[in-house]
Amino acid sequence: MALITLRNVSKTYMMGSNRVDALRDVSLSIDAGEFVTITGPSGSGKSTMMHILGCLDRPTDGSYELDGQEVARMTPEELADTRNRRIGFVFQGFNLLPRTSALENVEVPLLYSRKHPNTAERHRRGLAVLEAMGLGGRADHHPSQLSGGQQQRVAIARALVNEPSLILADEPTGNLDSATSVEVMRTLQTLREERGITIVLITHEPEIAAYGTRIISIRDGVITEDRPNPQPQSAALASVTAAAGA
Amino acid sequence: MEGIRAQAALALQGLGRNRIQAALALIGVVVGVGALVTSMALGRGAQTAIREQLLAAGVNVIIVTSGNYQVEQPGATGASPTDHGDLRGPGDYDLPIAASGRFLRPGGPGAVAAFYDSLRIPGQMPALELRPAHFEDDPMAVHDHPTAAQRLGDAMAGLGAAATLSVDDARAIRTELAGVQYVASGVHENARVTVDEEGGKQWFTRLHGTEADLPTIRRGWFFPQGRFFTEREVADSAQVMVLGRVVADRLFGEGANPVGRGVLMWNQPFEIVGVVGSTTWAAQPVAGDDQFDAVYLPVSTVHRLLNLSKLNTITVTTKSAGETTAIAENITELLRQRHGITEDMPDDFTVRTQAEQVLNKGLPPELARVVSGNLSSVDDMTMEQLATSMQRSNRTLLALLVGVAAVSLLVGGIGVMNLLFLSVTQRTREIGLRMALGARGRDIASQFFIEALILCCVGGVLGALFGAATARALEGVLAWGTDVSPESAVIATLVALVLGAVAGVLPARRAARLDPIRALHHE
Repeated sequence: MALITLRNVSKTYMMGSNRVDALRDVSLSIDAGEFVTITGPSGSGKSTMMHILGCLDRPTDGSYELDGQEVARMTPEELADTRNRRIGFVFQGFNLLPRTSALENVEVPLLYSRKHPNTAERHRRGLAVLEAMGLGGRADHHPSQLSGGQQQRVAIARALVNEPSLILADEPTGNLDSATSVEVMRTLQTLREERGITIVLITHEPEIAAYGTRIISIRDGVITEDRPNPQPQSAALASVTAAAGA
Repeated sequence: MEGIRAQAALALQGLGRNRIQAALALIGVVVGVGALVTSMALGRGAQTAIREQLLAAGVNVIIVTSGNYQVEQPGATGASPTDHGDLRGPGDYDLPIAASGRFLRPGGPGAVAAFYDSLRIPGQMPALELRPAHFEDDPMAVHDHPTAAQRLGDAMAGLGAAATLSVDDARAIRTELAGVQYVASGVHENARVTVDEEGGKQWFTRLHGTEADLPTIRRGWFFPQGRFFTEREVADSAQVMVLGRVVADRLFGEGANPVGRGVLMWNQPFEIVGVVGSTTWAAQPVAGDDQFDAVYLPVSTVHRLLNLSKLNTITVTTKSAGETTAIAENITELLRQRHGITEDMPDDFTVRTQAEQVLNKGLPPELARVVSGNLSSVDDMTMEQLATSMQRSNRTLLALLVGVAAVSLLVGGIGVMNLLFLSVTQRTREIGLRMALGARGRDIASQFFIEALILCCVGGVLGALFGAATARALEGVLAWGTDVSPESAVIATLVALVLGAVAGVLPARRAARLDPIRALHHE
């Protein structure tokens, strides 16, 4: 069943007096459990796509259904609530709060949860996802005391803490070396396989796009290619090869 | 609730990450609130000091004197008390109390005046030979001390001494009138006091028969040695005596402790139980001052030994300084009623407030100026007017101080607002991230708003402490009177909180209205 359904979505900006059509009449359906990678050169509209999928922005035209709910006409508050409950974000620059411990970073989405879990509950859930990311021993560390890969795993833990059905990753490996990139991709693949979480990943690197089960290419605000990837790159194998080669 | 706690935790985190700016903004608030608390303490201190000094000087005191020498007297038009100057001192003794009562009953005070006039030989002193000579009241005698006429004010002399007040009158004032604090009845005489030993020194002074309450009325009193006599001693008409500082010094030597020693008066032995001194600059003990150059005995003792039952004065204090005039009027009414005086007859007693004496007793020049500057006539001055004019000038000063403090608090508030605007700009990316993670506009707004509140609240409390400490220091170093009230600290902290709320609104609104995408990509 479709987790995401875009129908004839357009997004138009005004840049000064120029009209910019970032997305033109895009229709797209993503099923639960897919690992979709969206590629395209800069300015292709993939970032706009990401913002609309992530409920950070509303389309100018068309409809967007997320998990059966129409997002296009939600109020900003409803959008915030949807982001909090249904979507986990992973950013290129990690976007961790500086001078704040890994655990506190992971707990941030819980602070904005409408269920208002108390402090003990927040700690418990935060620690649980950190441990799942293999960072249980680093809960008290500040981002500056963690490696790039560890920081991105803290960010993934933060994305997971509210148990969303969708993870949106925006160039998650952009700031990482190739070995660490593989590590992160492996984490994402594992999440999909073990928890059935739908992953939408935006990248401009074809090698990273190859990890997805479906690859979408965007250019000038239009989907130019949308093909399944029956044999995605396996991060588990790659890391074994990398380890053997080292 | 949990939401608020989480927000507070967030705000604290935010402040923790901008420690230096937060500390600087905090200092602004602390100084502002501190200045506010200090100036309020100074204002209150000044007010208290003025009140204390006024009370110590006796401005809440009403003195009821028997007789009414101010009544216009037949045959002596325009007569003022001074016209009887040469009669005043001897007045008490010219006529035995019983005799004066006889004259008073049929004709009132006017008759007494007529009686005196009949004694007057034109161009001469009054008929001295009629006077039953009291050993110390011969006006022709050469005295080594101030005579009664020199010592005593108009109120104490002449017809004023007519004995029309009774112990029951005093009791009635005490029990029937509201706003009355203490009542002390008094009998006043001149007396010669001699040390009860071979070749003991003697001193002519003023004698006051009074009650155990008197020290509470005379707020400027303290007892360097011994104590005042007790209710019990009054009840027993005990032969105990309290010496004024001047008397003690003259009889026993400067600063000596006479407690437990004996003196003789009217050939009767008295035990000295205490010495009374002055605590206020408004009344320093000097010879002839009628207060510290005086001896105090239980009124009952004087009544017993002199076989008297009437009072010369009733001293009343009011609970509130501002009520003095009103209570003085009530006393007049009560006594007229008790003495059965009809509407067309003058009082047979005099009720005076001590406001005007305050001026004589040497207020500090600045206060005297305030008083005389605001009042056309000192004689017309009432307690309310005195209190009002003092409070008015004090309020002006207070308004100035509070104004300055408010400006500094405002500057502190602007500092907080500035910090928050800076913080919103600095943390735009963080705000974007929080929004992406599910924060609503109002979550972001309340985070900054609570930051402002926390800063100002902490600043308010620290500022109140700082202000109290400053006030204490000023009191110590400059000897200014200050009075830090808990209310002023609470008020200052509340003002700081309001300030924080005002300072927090604009930055919080700006943060809440950020576009999450732009904020997220803000460099």
